[in-house]
Amino acid sequence: MRPKHVLAALTALALTTASAGCGGSGGDDSDKTITVAYQKFGAFIQLDAQLQNVKKEYEAAHAGWTVELVPIEAAENDYYTKLSLMNRSPKTAPDVMYEDTFLINTDIQAGFLAPIDEYLSGWADWSQFTDAAKAAGKAQDGKTYGVPMGTDTRALWYDKTIFQKAGLTVPWEPKSWNDVLAAARTIKQKVPGVTPLNVYSGKGAGEGATMQGFEMLLYGTKHTLYDDAQKKWIVGSPGFNDSLGFIKTIFDEKLAPDPQDALDPNWGTKVNTELFPTGKLGISLDGSWTSSTWIESGSKPWPQWTEKLGYAAMPTQNGEAPGKTSMSGGWLLSVGAHAADKKASFDFVTTMLNKENTLKYDIAAGQIAERKDVAADPRYLESNPSLEFFTGLVDVTHFRPAYPDYPNVSNAIQVAMESVMTGQAPVDAAAKTFAEQVTSAVGGPDKVTTAS
Amino acid sequence: MTGPRRGPMRLAAYLVLALVAISFFLPFLWLIVASIQPGAALSADISWQFSWENFGEVLNAETIFRPVLNSLIISGGTALITVFAATLAAYPLSRYRSRFGRLFLYGILFSTGLPITAVMVPVYTMYSQFELTDSVPALILFMAASSLPFAIWMMKNFMDSVPVELEEAAWTDGAGWLQSLRRIILPLMVPGLTVVFVFTFVTQWGNFFVPFILLQSPDSQPASVTIYTFFSTYGQVAYGQLAAFAILYTLPVVLLYTAMSRVFGGAFSLTGAVKG
Amino acid sequence: MTTATAPRAARFGAFVPALLLLVVFFAGPLLWAVYSAFTDVALTGSAEVNFIGVDNFTTMWHDAQFWNSLWLTLVFVVGSAVIGQNTLGLLIALLLRGRNAGTRGVVSGLVIAAWTVPEVVAGFCWYSYLHRDGTLNGILGWVGLDQNWLYTTPMLAVILANVWRGTAFSMLVYQAALNDVPPELHEAAAMDGASAWQRLRSVTLPLIRRSIVSNLMLITLQTLAAFGLIYVMTKGGPGTKSSTTPIYMYQESFQFYKLGYGTAMALVLLVIGAIFSLIYVRLIKVDNL
Repeated sequence: MRPKHVLAALTALALTTASAGCGGSGGDDSDKTITVAYQKFGAFIQLDAQLQNVKKEYEAAHAGWTVELVPIEAAENDYYTKLSLMNRSPKTAPDVMYEDTFLINTDIQAGFLAPIDEYLSGWADWSQFTDAAKAAGKAQDGKTYGVPMGTDTRALWYDKTIFQKAGLTVPWEPKSWNDVLAAARTIKQKVPGVTPLNVYSGKGAGEGATMQGFEMLLYGTKHTLYDDAQKKWIVGSPGFNDSLGFIKTIFDEKLAPDPQDALDPNWGTKVNTELFPTGKLGISLDGSWTSSTWIESGSKPWPQWTEKLGYAAMPTQNGEAPGKTSMSGGWLLSVGAHAADKKASFDFVTTMLNKENTLKYDIAAGQIAERKDVAADPRYLESNPSLEFFTGLVDVTHFRPAYPDYPNVSNAIQVAMESVMTGQAPVDAAAKTFAEQVTSAVGGPDKVTTAS
Repeated sequence: MTGPRRGPMRLAAYLVLALVAISFFLPFLWLIVASIQPGAALSADISWQFSWENFGEVLNAETIFRPVLNSLIISGGTALITVFAATLAAYPLSRYRSRFGRLFLYGILFSTGLPITAVMVPVYTMYSQFELTDSVPALILFMAASSLPFAIWMMKNFMDSVPVELEEAAWTDGAGWLQSLRRIILPLMVPGLTVVFVFTFVTQWGNFFVPFILLQSPDSQPASVTIYTFFSTYGQVAYGQLAAFAILYTLPVVLLYTAMSRVFGGAFSLTGAVKG
Repeated sequence: MTTATAPRAARFGAFVPALLLLVVFFAGPLLWAVYSAFTDVALTGSAEVNFIGVDNFTTMWHDAQFWNSLWLTLVFVVGSAVIGQNTLGLLIALLLRGRNAGTRGVVSGLVIAAWTVPEVVAGFCWYSYLHRDGTLNGILGWVGLDQNWLYTTPMLAVILANVWRGTAFSMLVYQAALNDVPPELHEAAAMDGASAWQRLRSVTLPLIRRSIVSNLMLITLQTLAAFGLIYVMTKGGPGTKSSTTPIYMYQESFQFYKLGYGTAMALVLLVIGAIFSLIYVRLIKVDNL
């Protein structure tokens, strides 16, 4: 009878539907906005702090432009998920993003990142980056997709006081996995109330478990994850099982923290803001950046760390040459494939990563400098007593096989670690599940090989 | 009825009820205590020092006000659209018999049962395909659509209880169905409309999974998501603050529910939905 | 009934807003699910989407984790809804019959409070309640029964939490159903010397049979896709000990990037839900149809 009313109602609904398409809250109505997506979690507050400053610097230098910071408050794995969720839709895709080097090939295949070669050629500073750094941002297609912010290495941090109480020699120089286990067992026996050995494990710690935990073991055996000659993923190697066995040993013998604690995504924060500063942890297999939590600008200033803590290189399994091992990763600033103005976005990257800002960031976040001018700067060299040690590990370090399938392999490693540490599966069964998962994830049995 | 057997039975019944009451209260206990205990952690170690400090810490734009405002917009918008569409659809379902109406009603009933949270993965891929992710209006429309089947079903049952004779007088005066719906039925249905509105509002206020997947900007997240982020970041160390946040976030829905059941009594016990 | 004043077109018009919403935002995602379950759509790692036939379903068939998740989902639904919420809800409703207002108010008030609390907050309550140093262990510690609930018995933990959260619904349904049972029947049975248990079994339960069945269907459907509570409490862990299908689906889709595979799992859940829903629709009495 009253079609007008129905019509009005329909129009209202249609309008809502239509506005749904262009609504959102990204505030991307203006072309002169650069959105920057990055992680902010637990003790990792340094990037957020610095980006706040760089935002001001950039906006002052580029009149009319606005930098919109999008901090993603999530643990590592959840950060990757959230970043991918944003990237999958051009409307929400950030212009500049904080990108883990192991993900670039994956994200390039997904079409998330823009190559920046044409802009790099016009950036004088690019020549200051080491060859290794340039390689870190280079993808399988030969193009460069990100500017490195700094790199890292990994080693054993230990509490000297606990070592002395346990009657262990300081400085500590373990020669094999057995030496590490022996030290942990001694601590467990002689110093009650202390967690002897922390090795990040399971899904909660995310990529940290894969890299700081598992790969630090695996790359000290005769085996790795990827056979470069055959271009195949390695599954079922003795080294893989031995590494899982190490994890099983430390959790079974309660040398490691209570699995429930270790599985919490906040565990890493707890280790470095609570356990180490209060003398409750003997040894921790962790990154070169760890001390950034304790410096003045860190989230838990603890000036005494320089006297209380020591660091030792992670030995190879049985002391095989070169006797020690390490893993290196690092993060990039990348320009999004959907960035409206890629040049402007790249300019933001160069502002953030010019000499002064890189220097500040590498000091604050405990990064190993990848710019020659920063590495040679006395302010950098004197900033942290652990720097020399960790930089030295670059000689024995390894890189992850950062192919597009790597994230799936890494996830399967975390699943295997978790099933072993919780006692849900024995080493053999966990390794078998890993082999199955990887085989299916990388595209069939002809893409994997058993040992080499 | 009979004297001697009744005593022990009554006692047993009261004992069981007391046990139920205590068991249902205990999980709340640490949340409530921790909220007024400064520096409270996850471990239930009571220090007997109480203050409103935790509430003070979280009562700021960043932590509480903006997320709660977002929740208001999202839940309120969803409830409005749901009530609007459900009222219109319920009218012909309640007043006329037709093959279409019957089919529709069966479809609606069937849909109330579908586990809609199970489809969040395809919803996400569909939304990202059509660039609807991170859009609050698009989120509201999805939530409204998923609330609709139940809302229509409730609304039809409420409308059925409004006698059709009242309308017939209006019809003889030449009023159209929309007019009679607006002037005669709606005023009589205020309790029903309110119940559907509040029910939808409360459900969406607590909805975590849908905005967690469909919204990306930190600024547009409702409280259900930000409180989860707060939990996963500070839950271990600042449980007291989390508890204060949780109480402030929960209070509105508990108050709404209480007010509703005071005013409308049995009508709010969802009986309209599940008479079998 | 006078229907002349409402032409067919206008009558149909009233359906339009609801239909539009339901078709675009309810049926749309369902159809989209059917489509993407047969593709390899990924969160990242590939920009193209390929039609891969039933590959996702064959993978699922051979995926021990998936079967594990389905089993855990069954345990969760049967444990927390069918046994827990349903029985406890009925018990409370029966016990509350004829009690004074104070008792009714306190007991049903607490039960309903647990229900109105948002899912995530319920998760926090139980996370701290069952925590190693939480309230429950504080109490059980006196009798030496304390243990690390979330770690050693994660399924029991999430089941208890869901019983706590969902019992109110069953209780309300049964309170309403019991109100419709004429008291005279009871009195008559009591006169015949029937015990309380006999009265319950031969008088009350048969009379509320329909409510029991439809309640069972509804809570099963509500529990089948439960995500937030488990996600907050255990994230499916430790290991995969509490990874029900919705949790496993989330992990595979968003953490391990396999959106297509996750969608295939969603479809399986939907089909299971649809079967229960059909049973429910057949049971319910639709007036004036």
